[in-house]
Amino acid sequence: MKVLVVEDELKMASLLLRGFRNNGHAADIARTGEDASWMAAAAEYDVIVLDVMLPGRDGFATCTALREAGVWTPVLMLTARGSVEDRVRGLDVGADDYLVKPFSFAELLARVRALVRRGDRPRPAVLNVGALRLDPATRQVWRDTSEIELTAKEFALLEAFMRRPGQVLTRDQLLEQAWDIGYDNRSNVIAVYVNYLREKIDRPFGTRSLETVRGAGYRLRERE
Amino acid sequence: MKGLPIRLRLTLAFAVAVGVVLAATGLFVYLQQESALDRTVNQGLRARAADVTALAQQADSGLREGRGAAADSSGFAQVLTSAGRVVDATPGLPPRPLLQAHELAHLGSQGRFISYTLSRERVRLLAVRVHAQDSNRVVVVGTSLEPRLTALDDLRTELLIGGPIALILVSLGGYLLAAAALRPVDQMGEQAATISAANPGQRLRLPPADDELARLGRRLNDMLARLEAALERERGFVANASHELRTPLALLKTELELTLDEPASIDAYRAALRSAHDEADRLSQLAEDLLLIAQADAQTMPIRRSTITVADMLSAVAARYQRRAADTGRTITVDAPADLTLLADRFRLEQALANLIDNSLRYGSGPIRLAAAEDPQQVEIEVSDEGPGFPPEFLHRAFERFSRPDQARSRDGVGLGLAIVTAIMAAHSGSATASNRVGGGASVTLTLFRPHGADHRLSGVPSIPAMPSVASVTDNSSAISNL
Repeated sequence: MKVLVVEDELKMASLLLRGFRNNGHAADIARTGEDASWMAAAAEYDVIVLDVMLPGRDGFATCTALREAGVWTPVLMLTARGSVEDRVRGLDVGADDYLVKPFSFAELLARVRALVRRGDRPRPAVLNVGALRLDPATRQVWRDTSEIELTAKEFALLEAFMRRPGQVLTRDQLLEQAWDIGYDNRSNVIAVYVNYLREKIDRPFGTRSLETVRGAGYRLRERE
Repeated sequence: MKGLPIRLRLTLAFAVAVGVVLAATGLFVYLQQESALDRTVNQGLRARAADVTALAQQADSGLREGRGAAADSSGFAQVLTSAGRVVDATPGLPPRPLLQAHELAHLGSQGRFISYTLSRERVRLLAVRVHAQDSNRVVVVGTSLEPRLTALDDLRTELLIGGPIALILVSLGGYLLAAAALRPVDQMGEQAATISAANPGQRLRLPPADDELARLGRRLNDMLARLEAALERERGFVANASHELRTPLALLKTELELTLDEPASIDAYRAALRSAHDEADRLSQLAEDLLLIAQADAQTMPIRRSTITVADMLSAVAARYQRRAADTGRTITVDAPADLTLLADRFRLEQALANLIDNSLRYGSGPIRLAAAEDPQQVEIEVSDEGPGFPPEFLHRAFERFSRPDQARSRDGVGLGLAIVTAIMAAHSGSATASNRVGGGASVTLTLFRPHGADHRLSGVPSIPAMPSVASVTDNSSAISNL
């Protein structure tokens, strides 16, 4: 397993390096967020351990930049900033885990192993399908640059579609995604809400991205 | 009265005032009506007297036959000789004269009004002396006062019933009005009850009108804003402090954990212990700094003033850093009048100076100069170098806690050094200012104000041995606070 440690504090960086190597892993050090970006793009790392307080570009911005550059390597933020706001922010900019210093090295290793198990398939913090963009953290939706106001149910429905772009979703699947268990699935609530959604995301823009697939369900087209 | 709710007190005061006004008005109306009725009765009597006088001029005045205006339903008349004998009278009157002889004696030409009870009926008489048919006669006319008394009785009854009803209605209105006026106070109170440290951003809703309540609300909101800012600062300080404590703790913990987990040589253990020792030093220094800042905030920093010879103190501090400066090829020079003295806490002042020299050794370059100057009001001590100076954008927040030119954590310090300098100067009622010198280099000036009229200059003595510092940070139990 190969780890990229992004840490400007030399002593901490060398301790982390020593710990990972002692446990049979390979580890490199990046001193700044900029270094981390090109190193992560240049070599295949299994996990990135990212400090938040970095000179220049900080850890949050570095994480955002990595994801924007299409680097989906799992990121564990390791920082002395332990407030709830910081943890939430770190996870919302695309980090996969957040560990506050001082930490137990055994726990750090376990968390890193868990992250590696999950792999590096794309896990965008903000979903993009065609011209539609959805941010689950801020609960905002845009088509191109115009923001769209959605109700909670409409948002849940759209999120379900945007997590499986191009796939046909059956009524039952959609009910499961956006409604509580035990909802009367004989009702036409899905059809009603799909129509609401079309009124907001398609009709005003003259597009038809949300299709009905007769006899099967609905599909959000990847390309319009 | 004091124990009653304010709206009840207001209503009571209002009711008393309205009651007084109503009573006065009622009395006025009553008296006015009474005198108006009196006037009417008197005018009627005069008119009748003139009538009867005219009749009396004739041979037969004919009152008995009910002639003339004298004989309306409620009136009656009598014509007497000046001796009191009845000459003529309207029917229904007793045959005796209406006036006694002594009453007749005192009649003027204008006549006289006399009130009288005639067969259990209140009447008013007007007696006038007239000259008729060559003899003196007295014309007496009278009228019943019963209609007037009935009218006044009715009026009094109306006033006595209507007044209290009006008073009750107006008081009720006043109570409701007071309740309505005080409702915003209740609402503000309810809102205030929900504000705590958990939601310090909450504010009271203000009534739309710009009145006393709105002003009160605004003042309370201003107070809440100040408290919120203080709370915010406090939270920021705690967050920063815990963050700064976590870094050395993390290093300490990780170092120990890794070393315990791996088979290591004596040298490796020694290196780990040395590293742990360094972090423990950092932690205790940080704890001391935080304690000092907390004391400054609570205004309980112990200050032990003694007379300090400034040149001695500057030399002593400089000597402590001379070697570190020499390691990087730098010098520390002292430039102070030999006889300049100061009343201050030497230990704290040296701590402030040490922080400034340490800063310059870390971030500055060139020779470091410690200079002192005085005027009658104050003593200024300047620490300056010839390095790059403060970054301009950092200058205005140089003395803030945990503020560093680069906001990333650096091992060089936690950003408390200058904050401690300010805290120490504030405890001395002095000040610290940072600037960049014109020719390049950073400069920090400590200003200490002299007490009025005190002259701490030791005349003729070039220098006295430095006094040992008497205060220590850990010696709080016996510290005497001068604040």
